[in-house]
Amino acid sequence: MKPSVLAFSLLAATALTSQAHADKLDDIIASGTLRCAVVLDFPPMGARDESNNAIGFDVDYCNDLAKALGVTAEIVETPFPERIPALMSGRVDVGVASTSDTLERAKTVGMTIPYFAFEMAVTANEKSGVKSFEDMKGKVVGATAGTYEAIALEEQVKAWGTGEFRPYQTQADVFLALSQGQLDATVSTSTVAQANVKTGKFPGIAVVGKAPFDIDYVSLFTNREEYGLINFLNLFINQQVRTGRYAELYGKWVGGEAPNLAVNGVYR
Amino acid sequence: MLNYTFHWNQAFKALPQMLDGAVVTLQIALLSMVLGVALALALTAFRLSGSRILRGFATTWVEIARNTPALFQIYMAHFGLGNFGIHLSPYTALLIGIAFNNAGYLAENFRGALKAIPETQARAGRSLGMTPIQAFRLIVLPQMLRVAFLPATNQMVWAILMTSLGVTVGMNTDLAGITQELNARSFRTFEFFALAAVIYYIIAKLVTLAARLVAARMFRY
Repeated sequence: MKPSVLAFSLLAATALTSQAHADKLDDIIASGTLRCAVVLDFPPMGARDESNNAIGFDVDYCNDLAKALGVTAEIVETPFPERIPALMSGRVDVGVASTSDTLERAKTVGMTIPYFAFEMAVTANEKSGVKSFEDMKGKVVGATAGTYEAIALEEQVKAWGTGEFRPYQTQADVFLALSQGQLDATVSTSTVAQANVKTGKFPGIAVVGKAPFDIDYVSLFTNREEYGLINFLNLFINQQVRTGRYAELYGKWVGGEAPNLAVNGVYR
Repeated sequence: MLNYTFHWNQAFKALPQMLDGAVVTLQIALLSMVLGVALALALTAFRLSGSRILRGFATTWVEIARNTPALFQIYMAHFGLGNFGIHLSPYTALLIGIAFNNAGYLAENFRGALKAIPETQARAGRSLGMTPIQAFRLIVLPQMLRVAFLPATNQMVWAILMTSLGVTVGMNTDLAGITQELNARSFRTFEFFALAAVIYYIIAKLVTLAARLVAARMFRY
């Protein structure tokens, strides 16, 4: 065979085989769409405005991420228990859904460095007589199934030995039950508690104090084996803080000083 | 390729918990069937009575129970009544919701069964000197129950499966509630739901088998 034909065919072969394995980062850029899992009954991270459009810190974050990748963002609404199953079934590419970085979840999905931090607050029905975290002992309490605070609250109720814990499927159901008096108190992030009390949609509830759970760091998540995408997301979060965009979004949606996202004394 | 590695051992470790939940599920289903049968007999009596109010009430109940989703009925029992200040625990709300649904379907079953018995039976009873109530209780009712038994078994299996809707009203001690909680903690969705499905299947089959044995015994001539 002539050398030039041989060289050309080798070149063609390598060119074709190099596209055989593309990772998720390439897939997203090639498809032109980034599908994010976002929770939309969790203000101010995710909510719907009067015209039913998705708004919130998480929505803006997803849009920023899509811009960095050069694609369009598609917000896929998922309730809290559905975030990770949506990723595992291929309905979404990334989760921008205020997901706490627990070790249990890290066994199934890949979690990035924290992109936001929550403090837990106790919200109580005004007629229940609960004025602090300790007052919740012996009462009927509840939270959204599958969330970090629900798991922590259930362990606390078991440790107290008295009282009842009820898991509801959505954050909205929890506040509805709280407002009706079927729950005496709930533990939720201070941001969603204040946002919901302010809307006035759930009369008769008030934020009564902090809950002594550890600070809740939340991460973005994607498939465990997609190292390329996870590295990109980590750098993206770092850049959001560096360029001041994180502080800007925090001021827009929550107000006040943005919390520190690094844990002192340990590398990620 | 399937983007999922199966971890069956985690699911089997949780089996004792799920079996405890299965007991609660069976409990709710049985109670709701007992309530449902009692209510359905009352509704059938109302339907056949002369009073327009009772007939209207019974017909409304049956129409709503049969033509709206069971999920809505259970949701209303918990959150709907809660709006008026009536607080029912998730267990009670689930029980009442399923009993409401059962009563509606069983009332239709009983009505059909009653129509299947020829009028001559009651008349023959009267001609033997029985009062109308005696004729109904001793002649018509046993035959009616015989005809309605298998559809009622169907409804029992349906009640067992309907208990899974309790998760929407905060029920976490029955089989579906425990499965959903285990799923939410560990995200081993496929393993836990597959195991729960097998347990539901076994419960339903056991109930059907028990019903057939009871039928063979009770309805012997």
